[in-house]
Amino acid sequence: MSAAGIVDAGRQPAAAPHATQRRALLTPRRSNILLVLLGAILLPSVTYRAMPLLPSRYPLALAVATSIAVGALSLNLLVGYAGQISLGHGALLGVGAYAAGLASSGAGLPMWLALPIAALVSGLIALIIGFPALRLRGLYLAIVTVTFGFAMYNFVLQWNAFTGGSSGVSLVRRLWGKTIITSQADMLSAGLVVLVLAWLLDSNVTRSKLGRAFRAIRESEPVAGSFGVDVSRYKLLAFVLSGALAGVAGALYGFTLYLVNSETFNPPVGVDYSLLLLIIVVVGGLGSRAGAVIAAFVFSLFEFIIGDRFGSDSIIYGLVPILGSLMLMLTVARHPDGMAGMLRERRHRRRRRAAAADDGDHAMPALPSMPRPETAARPLAMERSLPVLEVESVSMRFGGLVAVDGASLRVDRGEIVGLIGPNGAGKTTLFNCISGLLRPDGGTVRFSGRDVSALSAHERAGLGLSRTFQQIGLAKDQSILENMLLAQHVLAGYGSSSALLYTAGVARSEDEMRARAVQAIAALGFGGREDVPVRLLSGGQQRIVEVACALLTDPELLMLDEPSAGMAPVMAESLADRLRDLRDSMGRTVLLIEHNVPLVLDVCDRVYVLTAGRVLAGGTPDEILAHPEVVNAYLGEAVA
Amino acid sequence: MIQGLIVGLVQGGTYGLIALGLVLCYRGSRVLNFAQAEIGTASLFIAWIVVGAWHHPYWMGALAAIVSALVIGLLFERLIVRRMETASRLTVAVATIGLFGFLVAVEAYANGPTPRYLPPPIKGLGPQIAGVYVSWTQILTYAVIAVVALGLTFFLRRTDFGLGVLASAQDATAARLVGIPQNRVSMFTWGVAAVLSALAALLIEPTITLIAPNTIGPQLFLGGLAAALLGGLTSLSGALVGGLLVGVLSAEATQLAPNGVAGVYTVVLFAIVIGVLLLRPQGLLGRPPARAESA
Amino acid sequence: MTAVLDLPQPPAAAPTEALLRVYGLVAGFGSHAVLHGIDIAVADGEIAGIFGLNGAGKSVTLKVIAGLVPAWDGRIMLSTHDITRLSAERRVALGLGNVPQGKQVFTELTVEQNLRLGAYQLRRRDPAHYRPLLEQVYARFPVLYSRRDQAAGTMSGGEQASLSVARALMSEPRLLLIDEPSAGLAPKIVEELFATLAQLNRDGLTIVLVEQNVTFGLQLVHTAHLLRQGRVVYRGDVAHLDRDRVAQELGIGRLLRARVAHSGVQQPNEEDGPHGHRARDDH
Repeated sequence: MSAAGIVDAGRQPAAAPHATQRRALLTPRRSNILLVLLGAILLPSVTYRAMPLLPSRYPLALAVATSIAVGALSLNLLVGYAGQISLGHGALLGVGAYAAGLASSGAGLPMWLALPIAALVSGLIALIIGFPALRLRGLYLAIVTVTFGFAMYNFVLQWNAFTGGSSGVSLVRRLWGKTIITSQADMLSAGLVVLVLAWLLDSNVTRSKLGRAFRAIRESEPVAGSFGVDVSRYKLLAFVLSGALAGVAGALYGFTLYLVNSETFNPPVGVDYSLLLLIIVVVGGLGSRAGAVIAAFVFSLFEFIIGDRFGSDSIIYGLVPILGSLMLMLTVARHPDGMAGMLRERRHRRRRRAAAADDGDHAMPALPSMPRPETAARPLAMERSLPVLEVESVSMRFGGLVAVDGASLRVDRGEIVGLIGPNGAGKTTLFNCISGLLRPDGGTVRFSGRDVSALSAHERAGLGLSRTFQQIGLAKDQSILENMLLAQHVLAGYGSSSALLYTAGVARSEDEMRARAVQAIAALGFGGREDVPVRLLSGGQQRIVEVACALLTDPELLMLDEPSAGMAPVMAESLADRLRDLRDSMGRTVLLIEHNVPLVLDVCDRVYVLTAGRVLAGGTPDEILAHPEVVNAYLGEAVA
Repeated sequence: MIQGLIVGLVQGGTYGLIALGLVLCYRGSRVLNFAQAEIGTASLFIAWIVVGAWHHPYWMGALAAIVSALVIGLLFERLIVRRMETASRLTVAVATIGLFGFLVAVEAYANGPTPRYLPPPIKGLGPQIAGVYVSWTQILTYAVIAVVALGLTFFLRRTDFGLGVLASAQDATAARLVGIPQNRVSMFTWGVAAVLSALAALLIEPTITLIAPNTIGPQLFLGGLAAALLGGLTSLSGALVGGLLVGVLSAEATQLAPNGVAGVYTVVLFAIVIGVLLLRPQGLLGRPPARAESA
Repeated sequence: MTAVLDLPQPPAAAPTEALLRVYGLVAGFGSHAVLHGIDIAVADGEIAGIFGLNGAGKSVTLKVIAGLVPAWDGRIMLSTHDITRLSAERRVALGLGNVPQGKQVFTELTVEQNLRLGAYQLRRRDPAHYRPLLEQVYARFPVLYSRRDQAAGTMSGGEQASLSVARALMSEPRLLLIDEPSAGLAPKIVEELFATLAQLNRDGLTIVLVEQNVTFGLQLVHTAHLLRQGRVVYRGDVAHLDRDRVAQELGIGRLLRARVAHSGVQQPNEEDGPHGHRARDDH
C-alpha cells in the first residue's frame, strides 16, 4: 500500500503564498515593537502639538475619553472575546482608582508604579469574586458582579475610614522625583501611552492561544473542552485580565480628575459606568478592539460636546443616556454582534462565494499524519502493553430513563473498534461518559491503565483522547485555520504570562503550530482557503476538517461519533479506506460509533453492539453476525 | 430583633415577588431579566403622578402603576424578546440590561432631581407584637404577598393555561407540538413578571419612603436576585422562601450594624450570593446548574 | 427470487383520498439545505413509513410537516388546507398530532397533567368531550391509568413512549406524525407499541411514521418512502416492495443474510449494501 496516509508531497500545492509573505513582513513581534514606538513617541508629541488648537476643555474631555477607552478594551476582552457578562466593571474601575490614589498620595509612589498596583489590586478582586461564578456555566458572573458593584457603592465606598467617603482620595500625578504632570495635555499624552500599551496587550491576547481559547469558549464550552481548553480556568483568566485592565482604566481616570470619591463612579443620576462600558462595547462591536476604542471616544466626546454646547442641565443633555440605552437594546435585537459584527457579515458574504465554489462530492482526501512536535509537552508516558481504553460497568440515568446500564468495553492499541446499535441505544451518551463530557452514575474509565473517571473533559483531551461530535465539534464561526490552531491548544508550549508579552518563545510556538496547520490544510485540499469560516463549508467538508483537527495532537485514542452521517455517497464510501489508513499506515487506535453497518463490519477489528443501554455482544464482525440476538436487535423479532 | 424581623419580612416578601418574576423569566425564556425591579420603579413614578401630582386616591395610583408596568413588560416582550427567539441567551440578557438603563434614564429625565414619595395605602399603627407596633400598611403587605403567591401557584398548577406555562418552561418544543400557543405563554411570562415588579415596588415604597432613580430599584433587584439564587433559579417556591430569608437576614444585619456605616445589608447580599455559589449552586430548591465545559 | 425480508401479510389496503400532500419541500439549517425537494402523498386511513439512513433527512421532513422547521420552498397540504406557513400550534388545531423524537413528555408534570395538556385545544373547543376521551385513552393504555398521578419523568422508556402517543391522541388528530418510536426501546415494547398503532389505524387514524428499524417499520406501514440525501429515491406499497432494493439502500443486507443463515435457508451470494461493496479482506 502506498504512503497514502502520509502527507503526499506531490499533491500539495505551493504553500499559500500570501500567508507566508504577510508573515515575513509584519510578524506579531515586529508590529508590537512598532506599536510601542508609535505610542510612546509619535502619538504623544502629535497630540501635544494639536492640543493648543482646541478649545480649553477638550484636553480634559479627551483624557477622560482615553481612560474610558481603556475601560472599554477591558470589558471587550471579557464580553467580546470570552462571552461572559460583567456588570461590575464600574466598581472595578473604582477599585483601581482608589488603589492608585492610596498608592500615590498615601504611599507617595509615582504614577508609573501606581498604575500596575491598581492593576494588581483589581485583578485580585476579580479573582476572588470570579472564582465562585466561573466554575459554572451560565450568567452567574453577571449576578456576582452586579451584587459586587452594589456592595461597593453602597458600603465600601461610603466607609469613611477606609476610602475617605465623600471627600475621597486624591491622586498625585508624580512621574519621578518632583516632576508632576500639571497640564491636561500632558495627562492626555500619558493616557494615550497607556491606551497603546493596553491595545498591545489585547492584540497579544488575540493572537495567542489565550484569544483562541476565549473565542472557543464563547462559541461552545463543550467544544473548547474537547480541544483541551481548561474552560473554568480560562474564563477566570479572562475576568482577571479584564479586571486588571479595568483597574488601570480607573486609575487613569482618577489621575485625570485628581480625585476619586464615593460619587465618582456612582453618579446619583445618569448612566452607571458599568452600563456605559457595556453599551460602548456592544454597540461598538463585540470582539473588535478598534470598535470598542472608537465607540468609547465617540460616546464620551458626544456627551461632552452636548454638555458643553447645551449645558448639563439642558433637555438635550438629559437625552443622551436614554439614547444610549435605546441603542443598546436595538443593536442587540437586530445585530447581536454590534457594528463590527455587521462589517464582519459583509466580509463573510464575499468568502461565501469562494467556499461554495468547491462543494461537489469527492472522495475523502487522505488525512495528514502529524507526529507530535518535539517542543510540545508530552503527556505522562502511556503504558504500551495495556489496552488504550477500558470501560467498566458505566451507568448513566436521566430521571427515570436509564441511558447506559452497566456498559463495559475495551479498545486495544492499534485497533479499530466499532460501537453500533439502534438509535437511542445510548451510544453517544456512552461516548460522552468516556470523553468526560458527562459524569456517569457508576463505573470506571481507564485510559492506558490510568483511571480517568474523575478527570474533566479537557484533562482527558490533554492525556491524548481526541473525539469528534455528531453535530461537528468545531468553532463554526471561526476559520479553518483558527480551528486547526485551536486544536493544537495542548501543544502550545508557553504559559499565559508569556502570551501577554508575546515573547520570542510564543512567536516560535505559534509559527510552528501555524506551519503544521497550513500543511494539514493543504494536504486536505483546502489550500488557499484557510480563512474560510467553517460554517460555510458543506457537512462532509466540515467533518474532514474536524477529523483532521482531532489528529493534530497525535492522540492515543481517536473517538469518532458517526463520522459518515450526512456525508455525500462518494465521500462516505472512501471513509472506509481512510479509516484503514489511520490504523495501518499511521498506527492509530480508533473507537467509532456508526450506523453504517456494512462499513463497520468491513473496517472494524472488533464490534460492540449496544441496545437499550446495555452491551448486548462484543467480538469480531463474524462473531457478531453469528449472534442471533444482535441480528434481532437490528431487524426486530421475526414474526412467525 | 423583632423590629428587624417585621421589617425584614415585609422587605423579604417584596424581594420574593421580584424573585418570582426573575424565576418566571428564567424558566420561561431562559433569560435573566435585569430590568425586573426597574419596571416596578418606573411604574412608581406613574403612581406618584396620579396620586401626588393629580391628587387622586391611592388605589388609582396603584392601579395606574400596575397597568403601566404591564404595558412596559408586554411591549418589551413583543418588540424585543420575541424578535430574539433564536439569539443567544446572553444577548437577550444584555437587552434587558438595556431596558434597565433606558428606564433609569427616562425616570431621571422626566422626573428631574426631586425625589418623590407616596402616602401610605393605609395609615396608622395596628396591633403590637412583642412590644413592637406593626403598621396596617405592613399587614396589608403581608396579605398582598400571600394572595399573590397563592394565586399564582393555583393558577399555574390548576388551570390549563397555567399548566401550559409550566410545560412550556420545561420543553417549549413539545409544548408547541401539543398545541400550546407559545406567543401567549411568552406574553404571560413577561406580563406577570412586570406586574410582580410593580407590586413589589408599591409594597416596599413605604419602608424606603423615597422614589428616586437608583434608590428603590437596585435594592429591590439585588434583594430579589439574591433571593432567587438562594431559592434556586428554577424554583418558584424557592423564590418566595429565598426572599423571606434574604429580607430577614439583611434587616437584622442593618439593625445590628454600628451606626455610621450605612448599607451593611449590601454586604450581606453579596455574602449570600458568593456563599450559595460556593457551597450549593442550586440553592435550596433548585436544580443543579451545568459545570463549565460539561454537556 | 426468494424474499429477503420475512414479513407477515400487510394490513388491509388503504382508501384513496390524500389527507397529506407534500410537494417539492426544500428546507435546512443555516445555509445548508437538508431536504432537496421531497414529494409525499398520504391517503386518508393509510400508514406511511419514511425510512433511510441517519442524515438522510427523515426527521427533518417530519419537523417541517409539523411546523417546527420552516420550509424554504414547496407546499404542504393537509386535506384542503395549505399549512405551509402556519405555526405548529395552528396545525394541531387543524388535526395534526405529534409524537416527537425522544418522546419529550413533560417530565415534571404528572401523567394526567401531560394528557390534559395534550387536550389543551380540545378543552377550549369542546370541554364536555374531554372526560370521555380521557377514559378512552386510559382504556387503551392501562399502564398510564395506574400511574396517572406519577411524575412522567420517573417512568420507564416504554411507559414514556406510551404517554407521548396518548398525549398526542388527546387532541383527536386525523393525522399522527411519529418520529422514531422504536428509539431506545426494547424489541418487546416496540412490538406492543406497534400493535397499538395498528389498532389506532384500524380505528381510523392516518399515521406518518419515521423509523430507523426497517423491519419493524415494514410490518406496520402500507407504503414505504425511502429517503437518501434529502430526496425520495424509492417508494412502494408494501405488498409490491422491492425488498432487495430496500435492504441494499439501508445497508442491512449482510445482517439479513446472517438472519437467514441462522434459520438455515440458503441464499445466493449477493453484493453488499452501497457502502461496503468490497468483500472482506484478510487483515
